[in-house]
Amino acid sequence: MKKATNLSELFEKLDDLKSVFRYGEKLIPVIQGLVDFMRDTVPLLENINSSISESTSKIPKATNQIHNITSATELATTEILDIIDVISNDISTAEEAISSLIRIEKEKEEILLEIKNLTEDNLEVAALFERYARINKVNPVLSPLTELFEKIRNNVYNITLSLQVQDITAQQLAAVNHLIESVQEKLSSLVIDFEVTNVSVLDSTAIQVPLNTTFDPNARYSKSLDQQDTADALVKDHQCRTSQDEIDKLFS
Amino acid sequence: MDLKFLIVDDSMTMRRIVINSLRNLGYGNFVEAGDGKEALDKLAVDSAINFIITDWNMPVVSGLELIKAIRSDPKVAHIPVLMVTTRGIKEDIIEALKAKVNNYIVKPFTPHILKEKIEQILAIAS
Repeated sequence: MKKATNLSELFEKLDDLKSVFRYGEKLIPVIQGLVDFMRDTVPLLENINSSISESTSKIPKATNQIHNITSATELATTEILDIIDVISNDISTAEEAISSLIRIEKEKEEILLEIKNLTEDNLEVAALFERYARINKVNPVLSPLTELFEKIRNNVYNITLSLQVQDITAQQLAAVNHLIESVQEKLSSLVIDFEVTNVSVLDSTAIQVPLNTTFDPNARYSKSLDQQDTADALVKDHQCRTSQDEIDKLFS
Repeated sequence: MDLKFLIVDDSMTMRRIVINSLRNLGYGNFVEAGDGKEALDKLAVDSAINFIITDWNMPVVSGLELIKAIRSDPKVAHIPVLMVTTRGIKEDIIEALKAKVNNYIVKPFTPHILKEKIEQILAIAS
Protein backbone atom coordinates (compact mmCIF):
# COMPACT_ATOMS: atom_id res chain seq x y z
CA MET A 1 0.00 0.00 0.00
CA LYS A 2 2.82 2.34 0.90
CA LYS A 3 4.61 1.47 -2.37
CA ALA A 4 1.52 2.51 -4.36
CA THR A 5 1.41 5.91 -2.58
CA ASN A 6 5.11 6.49 -3.30
CA LEU A 7 4.61 5.71 -6.95
CA SER A 8 1.64 8.04 -7.13
CA GLU A 9 3.77 10.82 -5.61
CA LEU A 10 6.54 10.07 -8.09
CA PHE A 11 4.13 10.36 -11.03
CA GLU A 12 2.83 13.63 -9.64
CA LYS A 13 6.41 14.95 -9.46
CA LEU A 14 7.07 13.74 -12.99
CA ASP A 15 3.95 15.59 -14.16
CA ASP A 16 5.22 18.75 -12.47
CA LEU A 17 8.58 18.27 -14.17
CA LYS A 18 6.84 17.79 -17.50
CA SER A 19 4.96 21.07 -16.95
CA VAL A 20 8.24 22.82 -16.16
CA PHE A 21 9.78 21.47 -19.39
CA ARG A 22 6.72 22.54 -21.38
CA TYR A 23 6.94 26.02 -19.82
CA GLY A 24 10.69 26.04 -20.54
CA GLU A 25 9.99 25.19 -24.18
CA LYS A 26 7.69 28.20 -24.38
CA LEU A 27 10.28 30.37 -22.61
CA ILE A 28 13.25 29.43 -24.83
CA PRO A 29 12.17 31.64 -27.82
CA VAL A 30 11.70 34.57 -25.44
CA ILE A 31 15.18 34.04 -23.97
CA GLN A 32 16.55 33.61 -27.49
CA GLY A 33 14.92 36.92 -28.45
CA LEU A 34 16.46 38.59 -25.43
CA VAL A 35 19.92 37.22 -26.26
CA ASP A 36 19.54 38.41 -29.88
CA PHE A 37 18.50 41.84 -28.64
CA MET A 38 21.53 41.99 -26.32
CA ARG A 39 23.76 40.91 -29.21
CA ASP A 40 22.36 43.71 -31.36
CA THR A 41 22.70 46.22 -28.53
CA VAL A 42 26.41 45.58 -27.92
CA PRO A 43 27.63 47.30 -31.13
CA LEU A 44 25.26 50.16 -30.38
CA LEU A 45 26.70 50.52 -26.87
CA GLU A 46 30.21 50.32 -28.31
CA ASN A 47 29.29 53.09 -30.73
CA ILE A 48 27.94 55.22 -27.89
CA ASN A 49 31.07 54.46 -25.90
CA SER A 50 33.42 55.51 -28.70
CA SER A 51 31.33 58.64 -29.40
CA ILE A 52 31.51 59.64 -25.74
CA SER A 53 35.28 58.93 -25.69
CA GLU A 54 35.75 61.02 -28.82
CA SER A 55 33.64 63.90 -27.47
CA THR A 56 35.39 63.74 -24.11
CA SER A 57 38.80 63.89 -25.75
CA LYS A 58 37.77 67.08 -27.59
CA ILE A 59 36.63 68.89 -24.43
CA PRO A 60 40.13 69.82 -23.12
CA LYS A 61 40.89 71.45 -26.47
CA ALA A 62 37.72 73.53 -26.16
CA THR A 63 38.43 74.58 -22.58
CA ASN A 64 42.04 75.39 -23.38
CA GLN A 65 40.87 77.53 -26.30
CA ILE A 66 38.47 79.39 -24.01
CA HIS A 67 41.31 79.92 -21.55
CA ASN A 68 43.52 81.19 -24.38
CA ILE A 69 40.77 83.64 -25.40
CA THR A 70 40.70 85.00 -21.84
CA SER A 71 44.50 85.40 -21.83
CA ALA A 72 44.48 87.02 -25.27
CA THR A 73 41.72 89.51 -24.38
CA GLU A 74 43.51 90.36 -21.12
CA LEU A 75 46.72 91.01 -23.05
CA ALA A 76 44.84 93.10 -25.64
CA THR A 77 43.09 95.06 -22.87
CA THR A 78 46.43 95.74 -21.19
CA GLU A 79 47.80 96.99 -24.52
CA ILE A 80 44.75 99.26 -24.96
CA LEU A 81 45.23 100.58 -21.41
CA ASP A 82 48.91 101.24 -22.18
CA ILE A 83 47.93 103.20 -25.29
CA ILE A 84 45.27 105.07 -23.31
CA ASP A 85 47.93 106.02 -20.74
CA VAL A 86 50.17 107.33 -23.55
CA ILE A 87 47.26 109.32 -25.06
CA SER A 88 46.33 110.73 -21.63
CA ASN A 89 49.94 111.81 -21.05
CA ASP A 90 50.10 113.36 -24.53
CA ILE A 91 46.85 115.24 -23.86
CA SER A 92 48.29 116.53 -20.58
CA THR A 93 51.45 117.71 -22.37
CA ALA A 94 49.39 119.40 -25.09
CA GLU A 95 47.09 121.01 -22.50
CA GLU A 96 50.08 122.37 -20.58
CA ALA A 97 51.57 123.75 -23.82
CA ILE A 98 48.28 125.44 -24.75
CA SER A 99 47.90 126.89 -21.26
CA SER A 100 51.37 128.37 -21.38
CA LEU A 101 50.71 129.71 -24.91
CA ILE A 102 47.51 131.39 -23.68
CA ARG A 103 49.46 132.81 -20.72
CA ILE A 104 52.23 134.16 -23.01
CA GLU A 105 49.67 135.66 -25.39
CA LYS A 106 47.94 137.40 -22.51
CA GLU A 107 51.26 138.78 -21.29
CA LYS A 108 52.12 139.95 -24.81
CA GLU A 109 48.77 141.74 -25.06
CA GLU A 110 49.38 143.48 -21.74
CA ILE A 111 52.84 144.66 -22.89
CA LEU A 112 51.47 145.84 -26.21
CA LEU A 113 48.68 147.70 -24.44
CA GLU A 114 51.25 149.48 -22.29
CA ILE A 115 53.25 150.41 -25.39
CA LYS A 116 50.02 151.65 -27.04
CA ASN A 117 49.25 153.82 -24.01
CA LEU A 118 52.78 155.24 -24.05
CA THR A 119 52.60 156.06 -27.76
CA GLU A 120 49.02 157.37 -27.92
CA ASP A 121 49.92 160.40 -30.00
CA ASN A 122 51.71 158.43 -32.69
CA LEU A 123 49.18 157.74 -35.45
CA GLU A 124 51.46 155.29 -37.23
CA VAL A 125 51.79 153.20 -34.08
CA ALA A 126 48.02 153.35 -33.56
CA ALA A 127 47.44 152.06 -37.08
CA LEU A 128 49.91 149.25 -36.47
CA PHE A 129 48.07 148.30 -33.28
CA GLU A 130 44.77 148.22 -35.13
CA ARG A 131 46.28 145.98 -37.77
CA TYR A 132 47.77 143.74 -35.10
CA ALA A 133 44.40 143.45 -33.29
CA ARG A 134 42.77 142.36 -36.57
CA ILE A 135 45.23 139.54 -37.23
CA ASN A 136 45.84 138.45 -33.60
CA LYS A 137 43.43 135.53 -33.39
CA VAL A 138 45.62 133.21 -31.30
CA ASN A 139 43.58 133.19 -28.10
CA PRO A 140 40.18 132.64 -29.73
CA VAL A 141 41.74 129.63 -31.52
CA LEU A 142 43.49 128.24 -28.45
CA SER A 143 40.60 128.46 -26.00
CA PRO A 144 38.31 125.98 -27.82
CA LEU A 145 41.32 123.65 -28.08
CA THR A 146 41.38 123.36 -24.29
CA GLU A 147 37.73 122.31 -24.33
CA LEU A 148 38.44 119.89 -27.16
CA PHE A 149 41.26 118.26 -25.21
CA GLU A 150 39.00 117.97 -22.18
CA LYS A 151 36.43 116.23 -24.38
CA ILE A 152 39.08 113.84 -25.75
CA ARG A 153 40.27 113.13 -22.20
CA ASN A 154 36.73 112.24 -21.13
CA ASN A 155 36.20 110.00 -24.15
CA VAL A 156 39.49 108.21 -23.48
CA TYR A 157 38.47 107.76 -19.86
CA ASN A 158 35.12 106.32 -20.97
CA ILE A 159 37.00 103.78 -23.11
CA THR A 160 38.93 102.80 -19.97
CA LEU A 161 35.66 102.26 -18.10
CA SER A 162 34.22 100.18 -20.94
CA LEU A 163 37.22 97.87 -20.65
CA GLN A 164 35.63 96.50 -17.47
CA VAL A 165 33.88 94.22 -19.94
CA GLN A 166 37.13 92.19 -20.12
CA ASP A 167 36.96 91.25 -16.44
CA ILE A 168 33.26 90.42 -16.69
CA THR A 169 33.61 88.27 -19.83
CA ALA A 170 36.65 86.54 -18.31
CA GLN A 171 34.41 85.46 -15.42
CA GLN A 172 31.68 84.36 -17.82
CA LEU A 173 34.20 82.28 -19.79
CA ALA A 174 35.57 80.78 -16.56
CA ALA A 175 32.00 79.78 -15.67
CA VAL A 176 31.60 78.13 -19.10
CA ASN A 177 34.90 76.29 -18.59
CA HIS A 178 33.72 75.07 -15.22
CA LEU A 179 30.52 73.80 -16.80
CA ILE A 180 32.44 72.01 -19.57
CA GLU A 181 34.74 70.45 -16.95
CA SER A 182 31.71 69.09 -15.11
CA VAL A 183 30.33 67.61 -18.35
CA GLN A 184 33.70 66.04 -19.07
CA GLU A 185 33.78 64.48 -15.61
CA LYS A 186 30.32 62.96 -16.10
CA LEU A 187 31.17 61.69 -19.59
CA SER A 188 34.47 60.26 -18.36
CA SER A 189 32.74 58.34 -15.58
CA LEU A 190 30.26 56.96 -18.14
CA VAL A 191 33.08 55.75 -20.39
CA ILE A 192 34.87 54.20 -17.42
CA ASP A 193 31.66 52.34 -16.54
CA PHE A 194 31.49 50.99 -20.09
CA GLU A 195 35.06 49.91 -20.45
CA VAL A 196 37.87 49.97 -17.88
CA THR A 197 40.56 49.95 -20.59
CA ASN A 198 39.69 53.51 -21.64
CA VAL A 199 40.92 54.98 -18.36
CA SER A 200 44.44 55.57 -19.68
CA VAL A 201 43.02 57.29 -22.77
CA LEU A 202 40.92 59.57 -20.59
CA ASP A 203 43.87 60.44 -18.37
CA SER A 204 45.53 62.08 -21.34
CA THR A 205 42.48 64.28 -21.92
CA ALA A 206 42.85 66.17 -18.66
CA ILE A 207 42.00 69.88 -18.87
CA GLN A 208 45.11 72.06 -18.56
CA VAL A 209 43.51 75.29 -17.38
CA PRO A 210 44.62 76.86 -14.06
CA LEU A 211 42.84 75.37 -11.08
CA ASN A 212 42.75 78.58 -9.04
CA THR A 213 40.36 80.37 -11.39
CA THR A 214 37.52 82.03 -9.51
CA PHE A 215 34.44 83.49 -11.09
CA ASP A 216 30.94 84.76 -10.61
CA PRO A 217 28.61 82.55 -12.69
CA ASN A 218 26.09 85.41 -12.86
CA ALA A 219 28.58 88.06 -14.03
CA ARG A 220 27.11 90.28 -16.74
CA TYR A 221 28.06 93.48 -18.50
CA SER A 222 25.06 95.73 -18.15
CA LYS A 223 24.76 99.47 -17.85
CA SER A 224 21.46 99.06 -16.03
CA LEU A 225 21.63 100.38 -12.48
CA ASP A 226 19.08 97.92 -11.08
CA GLN A 227 21.63 95.86 -9.17
CA GLN A 228 23.43 98.98 -7.94
CA ASP A 229 20.10 100.37 -6.74
CA THR A 230 19.45 97.13 -4.83
CA ALA A 231 22.93 97.36 -3.29
CA ASP A 232 22.36 101.02 -2.34
CA ALA A 233 19.01 100.23 -0.72
CA LEU A 234 20.48 97.32 1.26
CA VAL A 235 23.52 99.36 2.36
CA LYS A 236 21.26 102.24 3.45
CA ASP A 237 18.97 99.89 5.36
CA HIS A 238 21.97 98.20 7.00
CA GLN A 239 23.51 101.55 7.98
CA CYS A 240 20.22 102.74 9.50
CA ARG A 241 19.87 99.52 11.47
CA THR A 242 23.50 99.71 12.64
CA SER A 243 23.00 103.29 13.86
CA GLN A 244 19.80 102.31 15.68
CA ASP A 245 21.60 99.36 17.30
CA GLU A 246 24.32 101.73 18.51
CA ILE A 247 21.70 104.13 19.98
CA ASP A 248 19.90 101.21 21.63
CA LYS A 249 23.18 100.03 23.16
CA LEU A 250 23.77 103.49 24.64
CA PHE A 251 20.39 103.49 26.38
CA SER A 252 20.36 99.90 27.53
CA MET B 1 42.65 113.49 4.92
CA ASP B 2 45.42 111.88 2.86
CA LEU B 3 44.16 108.58 1.54
CA LYS B 4 46.37 105.64 0.72
CA PHE B 5 44.31 103.09 -1.19
CA LEU B 6 44.85 99.35 -1.28
CA ILE B 7 43.33 98.05 -4.52
CA VAL B 8 42.66 94.30 -4.37
CA ASP B 9 41.63 92.48 -7.57
CA ASP B 10 42.99 89.42 -9.36
CA SER B 11 42.35 91.16 -12.69
CA MET B 12 45.18 93.49 -13.59
CA THR B 13 42.79 95.26 -15.98
CA MET B 14 40.38 96.06 -13.15
CA ARG B 15 43.18 97.29 -10.88
CA ARG B 16 44.33 99.68 -13.57
CA ILE B 17 40.79 100.89 -14.27
CA VAL B 18 40.13 101.54 -10.57
CA ILE B 19 43.47 103.35 -10.20
CA ASN B 20 42.78 105.45 -13.34
CA SER B 21 39.39 106.38 -11.92
CA LEU B 22 40.87 107.32 -8.55
CA ARG B 23 43.52 109.44 -10.30
CA ASN B 24 40.70 111.22 -12.16
CA LEU B 25 39.10 111.92 -8.78
CA GLY B 26 42.33 113.51 -7.59
CA TYR B 27 43.80 110.70 -5.49
CA GLY B 28 47.38 109.61 -6.06
CA ASN B 29 48.51 107.13 -3.42
CA PHE B 30 47.93 103.46 -4.22
CA VAL B 31 49.10 99.97 -3.33
CA GLU B 32 47.98 96.92 -5.32
CA ALA B 33 47.29 93.29 -4.42
CA GLY B 34 46.25 90.36 -6.64
CA ASP B 35 44.27 88.47 -3.99
CA GLY B 36 43.14 88.61 -0.37
CA LYS B 37 46.26 86.99 1.01
CA GLU B 38 48.54 89.44 -0.74
CA ALA B 39 46.32 92.24 0.59
CA LEU B 40 46.68 91.00 4.18
CA ASP B 41 50.46 90.79 3.71
CA LYS B 42 50.54 94.39 2.44
CA LEU B 43 48.34 95.57 5.34
CA ALA B 44 50.71 93.92 7.81
CA VAL B 45 53.70 95.93 6.59
CA ASP B 46 52.12 99.20 5.47
CA SER B 47 50.38 101.08 8.27
CA ALA B 48 49.69 104.06 5.99
CA ILE B 49 46.94 102.19 4.10
CA ASN B 50 43.66 103.74 5.18
CA PHE B 51 41.17 102.75 2.49
CA ILE B 52 40.59 99.36 0.84
CA ILE B 53 38.82 98.71 -2.45
CA THR B 54 38.39 95.00 -3.07
CA ASP B 55 36.88 92.55 -5.55
CA TRP B 56 34.98 89.48 -4.28
CA ASN B 57 35.97 86.59 -6.58
CA MET B 58 39.68 86.05 -6.12
CA PRO B 59 41.90 83.00 -5.73
CA VAL B 60 43.60 81.99 -2.44
CA VAL B 61 41.67 84.40 -0.17
CA SER B 62 38.43 85.88 -1.54
CA GLY B 63 37.24 89.44 -0.97
CA LEU B 64 34.65 88.29 1.56
CA GLU B 65 37.27 86.32 3.51
CA LEU B 66 39.53 89.36 3.34
CA ILE B 67 36.87 91.60 4.93
CA LYS B 68 36.26 89.04 7.68
CA ALA B 69 40.01 88.81 8.35
CA ILE B 70 40.32 92.61 8.46
CA ARG B 71 37.37 93.03 10.83
CA SER B 72 38.74 90.39 13.20
CA ASP B 73 42.17 92.04 13.44
CA PRO B 74 42.07 95.02 15.87
CA LYS B 75 45.08 96.63 14.15
CA VAL B 76 43.26 97.09 10.84
CA ALA B 77 39.58 96.57 11.73
CA HIS B 78 38.88 100.32 11.50
CA ILE B 79 39.98 100.64 7.85
CA PRO B 80 37.00 101.27 5.55
CA VAL B 81 36.40 98.65 2.86
CA LEU B 82 34.56 99.27 -0.39
CA MET B 83 33.65 96.18 -2.39
CA VAL B 84 33.61 96.45 -6.20
CA THR B 85 32.30 93.21 -7.68
CA THR B 86 30.15 91.60 -10.38
CA ARG B 87 28.10 89.87 -7.67
CA GLY B 88 24.89 91.85 -7.70
CA ILE B 89 22.33 89.47 -6.23
CA LYS B 90 20.65 90.42 -2.97
CA GLU B 91 21.94 87.44 -0.97
CA ASP B 92 25.56 88.27 -1.86
CA ILE B 93 25.17 91.93 -0.92
CA ILE B 94 23.63 90.94 2.43
CA GLU B 95 26.49 88.49 3.04
CA ALA B 96 29.04 91.24 2.40
CA LEU B 97 27.17 93.63 4.71
CA LYS B 98 27.11 90.97 7.43
CA ALA B 99 30.89 90.73 7.02
CA LYS B 100 30.93 94.51 7.71
CA VAL B 101 31.80 95.92 4.32
CA ASN B 102 31.35 99.71 4.35
CA ASN B 103 29.82 100.07 0.91
CA TYR B 104 29.16 98.08 -2.23
CA ILE B 105 29.54 98.73 -5.97
CA VAL B 106 28.31 96.39 -8.70
CA LYS B 107 30.54 96.21 -11.79
CA PRO B 108 30.63 97.78 -14.29
CA PHE B 109 30.98 100.91 -12.19
CA THR B 110 30.89 104.54 -13.25
CA PRO B 111 33.26 107.23 -11.89
CA HIS B 112 30.24 109.00 -10.42
CA ILE B 113 29.28 105.94 -8.35
CA LEU B 114 32.88 105.37 -7.23
CA LYS B 115 33.18 109.00 -6.09
CA GLU B 116 29.81 108.87 -4.34
CA LYS B 117 30.63 105.69 -2.39
CA ILE B 118 34.08 106.90 -1.31
CA GLU B 119 32.58 110.19 -0.12
CA GLN B 120 29.77 108.38 1.73
CA ILE B 121 32.29 106.15 3.54
CA LEU B 122 34.49 109.12 4.43
CA ALA B 123 31.49 111.15 5.64
CA ILE B 124 30.39 108.35 7.98
CA ALA B 125 33.98 107.75 9.15
CA SER B 126 34.46 111.41 10.06
